[in-house]
Amino acid sequence: MSETIRRMKDLPSTHLLGTGTPMCSGCGGLEALHQIYDVLGENTVFVNAAGCMTLLSVYPFTPFRGSWLYTAMGSAPAGAQGVRDALDILLQQGRLPPEDDLQVVVLTGDGSAYGMGMSATSGAMDRDLDFIYICYDNEGYGNTGQQYSSATPHGATTATSCGSRGYPGYKKDLFSVWSAHRPSYVATVIGSEPLDLAKKIEKARDMTGPRMIIALSPCPTGWDYDPKDSVDIGKLAVKTGVWPLKEYENGVVTHTRVPRDRPPVEEYLQRQGRFAHLFRPERNEELLAEIQDRVDHYWEEVV
Amino acid sequence: MASRVLGTALFRSGFTVQDAPKYGAERRGAPIFSTVRAARGASEGETINERGIIHRPDLVVVADDTLLAIPAAGTLQGIDPDTVVLVNSRESADTWRHRLNLQGELLILPAGSEVEDRADLPHIGATCAGAAACLLGVIEPEALTTAIDEELGPLGEEAVAENRENASAAFEAMIAHRGIVTEGAAVPAKDYEPPAWVELPVDDASIAAPDIRAAANSVQVRTGLWRTLRPVIDYDLCGKCWWVCSTFCPDSAIAVEGDKPVIDYDHCKGCMVCVGICPPHAIGSIPEYLAQQREQQTIEEGEADGTDPADR
Amino acid sequence: MAPTLLTGNVAAAWGARLARVDYVPAFPITPQTEIIETLGAWVDSGDMPGRMVTLESEHSMLTAAGAAAATGVRVFSATSSQGLLHAMEMIYTVAGWRAPFVLVNVSRGLASPITLEADHNDVLAARDSGFLQIHCADCQEVVDGVLLAYRLAEDPAVRLPVMVNLDGFYLSFTREPVNLPDPAEVAQFLQPFDPGAIRFAASAPESQAVAVLGGSPYSYFRYETHLAAQNAVSVYGDIAGEFRERFGRERGAVEAYQTEDAEVVFFMMGSFATKAREAVDRLREAGQRVGLLRPRLLRPYPADIIAGALEGVSGVAVIDQNLSVGQGGVLHTELSAALYGREGAPAVLTSFIGGLGGREISPEEFYQMAAVTRQAVETGVTPPPRLLYTETELREIRKLQSVALVERDETSPRGGAGKPPGEEDKQ
Repeated sequence: MSETIRRMKDLPSTHLLGTGTPMCSGCGGLEALHQIYDVLGENTVFVNAAGCMTLLSVYPFTPFRGSWLYTAMGSAPAGAQGVRDALDILLQQGRLPPEDDLQVVVLTGDGSAYGMGMSATSGAMDRDLDFIYICYDNEGYGNTGQQYSSATPHGATTATSCGSRGYPGYKKDLFSVWSAHRPSYVATVIGSEPLDLAKKIEKARDMTGPRMIIALSPCPTGWDYDPKDSVDIGKLAVKTGVWPLKEYENGVVTHTRVPRDRPPVEEYLQRQGRFAHLFRPERNEELLAEIQDRVDHYWEEVV
Repeated sequence: MASRVLGTALFRSGFTVQDAPKYGAERRGAPIFSTVRAARGASEGETINERGIIHRPDLVVVADDTLLAIPAAGTLQGIDPDTVVLVNSRESADTWRHRLNLQGELLILPAGSEVEDRADLPHIGATCAGAAACLLGVIEPEALTTAIDEELGPLGEEAVAENRENASAAFEAMIAHRGIVTEGAAVPAKDYEPPAWVELPVDDASIAAPDIRAAANSVQVRTGLWRTLRPVIDYDLCGKCWWVCSTFCPDSAIAVEGDKPVIDYDHCKGCMVCVGICPPHAIGSIPEYLAQQREQQTIEEGEADGTDPADR
Repeated sequence: MAPTLLTGNVAAAWGARLARVDYVPAFPITPQTEIIETLGAWVDSGDMPGRMVTLESEHSMLTAAGAAAATGVRVFSATSSQGLLHAMEMIYTVAGWRAPFVLVNVSRGLASPITLEADHNDVLAARDSGFLQIHCADCQEVVDGVLLAYRLAEDPAVRLPVMVNLDGFYLSFTREPVNLPDPAEVAQFLQPFDPGAIRFAASAPESQAVAVLGGSPYSYFRYETHLAAQNAVSVYGDIAGEFRERFGRERGAVEAYQTEDAEVVFFMMGSFATKAREAVDRLREAGQRVGLLRPRLLRPYPADIIAGALEGVSGVAVIDQNLSVGQGGVLHTELSAALYGREGAPAVLTSFIGGLGGREISPEEFYQMAAVTRQAVETGVTPPPRLLYTETELREIRKLQSVALVERDETSPRGGAGKPPGEEDKQ
């Protein structure tokens, strides 16, 4: 796609990513990925880390029209380093015509991005690697049945935090961790806001250096809701202020959407089984207030 | 879940038991398989030595009849004329026997009432376990309910009660066939068919590495079979917008052809995201089985009047 | 070219330079560091084309190495010990990619306790991975081994990564005269890398290293890797033959020294094997028919070649500079498996564990191992495996223990001050 995306009508209506993947019905991560793929196109090599999307390419099927390399949970950015460097060497030596060059894209879940793969990601940014990193963040180790990860929000029930208070920890602020490395670009996106997503991916596509994307990925299986609600829940994450849409560039963080009249966060929470214990058998006012306070505090600092 | 209930019911009935799902974490909506083995003589220390998939099942329970149409699902693998096949279906036993060309016993577990919302779908696992328990003939109803209490306890009293009711109803529905399942023989070590082992050829690395050179060939995987609900576009209402449905469909299963969005039913998993987000509410939802029945009718009518359904 | 004095590490770096490698992902670890420092200096000075990048871990280093090889360039990397273990997930992983490159391992004992000097447990931890392994006994073999490794790795009938092993300290930091092959000759011997169908380019999309579901496809891909490795025995033989003709040095899959008429043969690998060679000479002088058999190629295991070389030998003293805890020496186990049931195989295989963590092996110990093995042949009774460890060493460790384990209040300058507050009066 070469035209600049300004309006919804500019979004493509035929899609590059193949159907027939084994992702769950209603997968918010796949929704974001197919939108991203439409912008990045097939001249890409996706370097993947262990996670749900490892199963996108299971022999002998792949949904990609371009290339793919599965590495391991902890080192996809290092795989991207090897591929990028090798492509540059081949280009420099004239062994690869320029039109055969590829955009190198890391694709990992939050388990890798927020945890095991962090040092490899940090190193890739330190080395100013020319790559795009996409983290589909479903806030838990989804592929193994949603145990809590460093991306799990406070209070959420997971397979390893089933108590009445849910997960006792707090979701890591990966956007800030990444921004602190001063890469070319960092952005948060979500599949339920396709125009915002497409603009950011398009921007990232046309830059060089480390371009880091976190896509919040509503997960019917892990968050426990009907798949049909994936988009609604994603939109609520943005509206209630739980998932700020923002970007970092040249040392400056800009919010691409500042939600006015934020509805209470519980409108987002109560749609998901993983927060059901905050409402039933009785409301956990203390925990609900804490979650709301943290969101309010975030936006007070922004505005 | 069905396998655990059945396994526990057998265990509580004095059997040595082995039950297992084929895979651990599964995709929501994707087919799942599980096995149960039982042997008499638990008190005498009898053990079950076989493991993994059952090569020659005595009973196959198919909870979703759409799986029977997928050869890759291997639902009926290893069955012989002594195998009893139980299918949860709205179709008749004769229809299935005819379609599958089966010689052995095929029974129908009548599918539940029509539901428009997935959340209202009954727990099919307990229903299947109840029916299977009856067909085996060695499980008393009390053992079945005990098993449901044990296995589903963590889901809460309401769910347990509902599942108990479904399981008991299924047990009763099968009462005429109680004990129809016979115990199959082990694979004999005499006069057996030797495995056709081959010398693996030394293949070139270009094909012997787990690499795919085809592009987007995942379309060969028919994920449309996952669907229990079908989204249907009412083109009279479709606003021909900026193709909201096409953008939001997680599976890229809605493309715009000409000036209208078309749902690719071979791949639509039935998540129904499109139903919720269509601005003019032009996408409705019908149960998949009804949609298939209607399609079947259309084809049969076509056959009756001699026209090719493709022409219509 | 006249020989120059080079350490094993610099010889390894020369191997990479002569092989005209495109890409060197690196990470420092003692005793390997000199290799990457040497390469880094050459790249910076322009003496060597190619690109070097230091990753943030060996796990990442191996990932980048495999990914670059899978993209289509010639890759060299080096590590040691804990670094190899840290990368172990990727050692197995990249072998399955069928992406050929060369990894030098500078052997060093494994923690715990953490140590610096050589033994082979690090490289043997990778023996089942799909990496092929070439083991060097001197610095000349290191440079030769790297060149042979590239030929082997990139051969279309093989296409597997190859590890070249040299011992820490005894080779890594030890200078010996090395004949550097003429670059033009090397260019003849080692043609540019042809990645074939396994590479990345926009015009040839490819999904590499994808998942499989189920044991049947997995068995196929894994066993194909094994078949390719088995191919490598004869491919290596051809390559070593060509190498001998071109460069005049014998680099066969095994070194057989004085084995022709030998009654007893030492069987071991790595740099300590040259000590065994020396012992063979002394024992021969003493009138004993002793020889040495040393596998250069450990993966694939050249079982037929080894068995052939041991035909007519009565007893083999297997010296393992490694320890499979709870089992014993790895070479002993593998040799037993290779010889079992073969006609004319040696009647006795004695097992000695020696040189762990770089512990010396003395000439007298070699003589005694030969004597014990000969005695086992004569009596028909094979002694249990023996750790090479002397009374003096045990006395020394007892001394160290007496220092390490002394009661706290005896060493504390203030007597009982080492106790928690308030505890003084209680005793």
